[in-house]
Amino acid sequence: MTRKMQVLASVLALFMLLTTLSACSSKNSNSGNGNSGNGNGGSTGSEANGNAGKSEAKDTITALLPPVSGNYQNNFAQMEKDFNALYPNLTLKIEPASWEDMTQKLDTQVNAGSPPDIAFIGSDGISKYVQQGMLMDIKDTATPEMVSDYDPAPLEYMKNGDGLYGFPAYMEVHAIGGNKEYLEAAGIDWKNVQKNGWTFEEFREAIKKGVVKEGDTTKRYGFVFATSGVTAKDYLNILIKNAGMPASFNKDLKYAYTSKNYLEVLKAVRLMIDDGSMPKELSSVDAGKRWNMFLTGQTMITGKGLATFENSANKNNEKLKANDGSAVQGSIPVEYIVLPVPTFLGQEPVSSTVVDGYVTFRGKKEPTAEHKANVVKAAYFLASGQVAATTNNDLFAAHISKSGREAAESMTIDRNPDNVAAVETLLSHANPARPDIPVELGAKAIKMEDEVIIPKLQALLADEISPEEMYEAVKAAAIKNFGEDGIVND
Amino acid sequence: MAQLAKAPIAKPVKRRRWKGDGGWAYAFIAVALIVYAMFTAYPVISAFIISFQEYRPLGSVFIGFDNYTSTFRDSLFWKSIKNTIVYTVLTVPVSLLLSFAVAIMILPLKKGLQTTFKAVYYLPAVASGVALSVVWLWIFDPMTSGILNQFLALFDISNQNWLGSSASAMFSLVLMAWLSSHGTSIIIYLAALLGIDGSYYEAAELDGASFFQKLWYIVIPCLKPTTLFLLVTGVIGSFQVFQNAYLMTGGGPDNATTMVGLLIFNNAFKYFEFGEAAAQSLILTVIIAGISLIQFKFLGNDVEY
Repeated sequence: MTRKMQVLASVLALFMLLTTLSACSSKNSNSGNGNSGNGNGGSTGSEANGNAGKSEAKDTITALLPPVSGNYQNNFAQMEKDFNALYPNLTLKIEPASWEDMTQKLDTQVNAGSPPDIAFIGSDGISKYVQQGMLMDIKDTATPEMVSDYDPAPLEYMKNGDGLYGFPAYMEVHAIGGNKEYLEAAGIDWKNVQKNGWTFEEFREAIKKGVVKEGDTTKRYGFVFATSGVTAKDYLNILIKNAGMPASFNKDLKYAYTSKNYLEVLKAVRLMIDDGSMPKELSSVDAGKRWNMFLTGQTMITGKGLATFENSANKNNEKLKANDGSAVQGSIPVEYIVLPVPTFLGQEPVSSTVVDGYVTFRGKKEPTAEHKANVVKAAYFLASGQVAATTNNDLFAAHISKSGREAAESMTIDRNPDNVAAVETLLSHANPARPDIPVELGAKAIKMEDEVIIPKLQALLADEISPEEMYEAVKAAAIKNFGEDGIVND
Repeated sequence: MAQLAKAPIAKPVKRRRWKGDGGWAYAFIAVALIVYAMFTAYPVISAFIISFQEYRPLGSVFIGFDNYTSTFRDSLFWKSIKNTIVYTVLTVPVSLLLSFAVAIMILPLKKGLQTTFKAVYYLPAVASGVALSVVWLWIFDPMTSGILNQFLALFDISNQNWLGSSASAMFSLVLMAWLSSHGTSIIIYLAALLGIDGSYYEAAELDGASFFQKLWYIVIPCLKPTTLFLLVTGVIGSFQVFQNAYLMTGGGPDNATTMVGLLIFNNAFKYFEFGEAAAQSLILTVIIAGISLIQFKFLGNDVEY
């Protein structure tokens, strides 16, 4: 080896080693300002610690945010600027993430003990992080003005036990959606259904009428719900909530899905496929597929349906009108109608809701009181007023804070008034939050849902097991997890 | 004299030793060793420790063998092991056979054509697994519009719920493996085929050997080390399979395609049960090591390297 080659090779080897070591370093290049992460004593840095107690001490709050709405991430620079104008000593540093990356990115940061100060997640994820001790309880820091700004129902979703772990951004209803033209052709009084709901028997007859066949081939189904993979969970959940089981545990904290009503819902799931109202391949229909089927006229009703789907349908209609090539291939103009989920066995309607919001995290070290207050300010800034109004209007989601409603007054939004009223009706019987369910019980129920309920439901949809077999499998798993006395026996 | 006696004669020796290639060799090996220690040895040791803990970012708790006992009692773990074995048995031998057949077919071609085919077969290895899965989801579309279902319709066979039925979900993943990702094996087989001395073939031709006789008596024995290498690495890779099940079926339906890799991923990143996931990973390591040893013992006896 010549001397030159030795020197070159050693430089390359050193470079490789340094690159590796720097990649593994826990200190990133942004830590120079002492605010790389979670606002614990370490993360606020010497500057913040040195000024502890001074309200004007400089501080940086980090937030990991996904594309909540179509325009949401485009507004990040403005949001950072507005926050800094409101609190000149504070800097809001937003890290964008795609929906696909969000969970993995956050989970990695949480398990490394250095999460962001704020992350936008579903309220159903709160118990998981509480169990890890990585969420920051802000009930003693959030001011009464902040708390009273929110509608009580969505705010409850941000609680676990006695703790408050952030502020809600919106509360959306998981409903179903219909094609107005096809509903009317099938003789369905959809305005009446929007106001008064329908029973499963009425729904079953309605979706039968929506089926269009050419010989043996079904050209249009009455109802198609996404059930591939984890979406199966949504399907069963919105049905069982309307069958007297609003949560996995009843008020006595007994596991609810061993009730006889559960079996009746499972029978209904099979009936709709056996009737031919839903495709026999339902277990492989994912969210994209069923929306495509709805826009291309292959189904009269689809699920799950969110308010924002009206916006998506309207946008596609505009593209079709303008002969825009980016319209969904084979699609037809569709007027999206919000519909409620049917009720079972004479039970009261309970709307399945999803509450997402800005959740506050802590790092390995206890956060300083001052940094905690700053994080709360940032979370409230994101979840209220102008930011909330703009985001919720983008999503066609109802406003859930007074400040958000006020800010939205000056904004125009083109929505079907019947759908707005229907969503209001659905929200009026929204499923209440259950912060009383202990995290350990909740975690067991989630794991049981993933490992037993969803796989068995997929088998039921594929006609590989009967409703009774699935019910027995769920009951056996429930007894194993919660004991004979820990389940509902009716 | 005394000063001469005290002269540090060892120094030049040291410098010579460092100047020699030996010193440089240690320096370069050190780089690889440090990277190995950081990214392989440390995580393995760390996983071993975590497997005896209930992991929490704010302080883990030592729980002895609980993670191991709960794993051994978990019926889903055994089902995932069974699924993984079925997948391995169905994919690895067929993949080897296909790679070998393609390499044999490419061998007589001119160098330019050989390179083209090698590039074509290697392309799936370069493409994103997610992108490939999207294409396969399109192929396996359960409705009549699905590509595979349209093909079946030509023979008057009704559409199949490829990924949604327990009867066909595993087969669908196996079919995916059969029809993709042979590039690396083909290139390795080709390199080995080109390494066989031409005089063997000439001697065989003089004796009037047919194509299949040459294949059986020359090619297959000469490629035995290569086949053993591909078999062992193929089985190891197959036991660690995760992506296809995660992206295509999510482990369903009814856990019919839940592989052990997917189960470990779910325990770690879905339920944050890192202790149990670490225990399952180490059990998987032992299983893979055991199978590899058996392969070497029974297939590697007469292999000469």
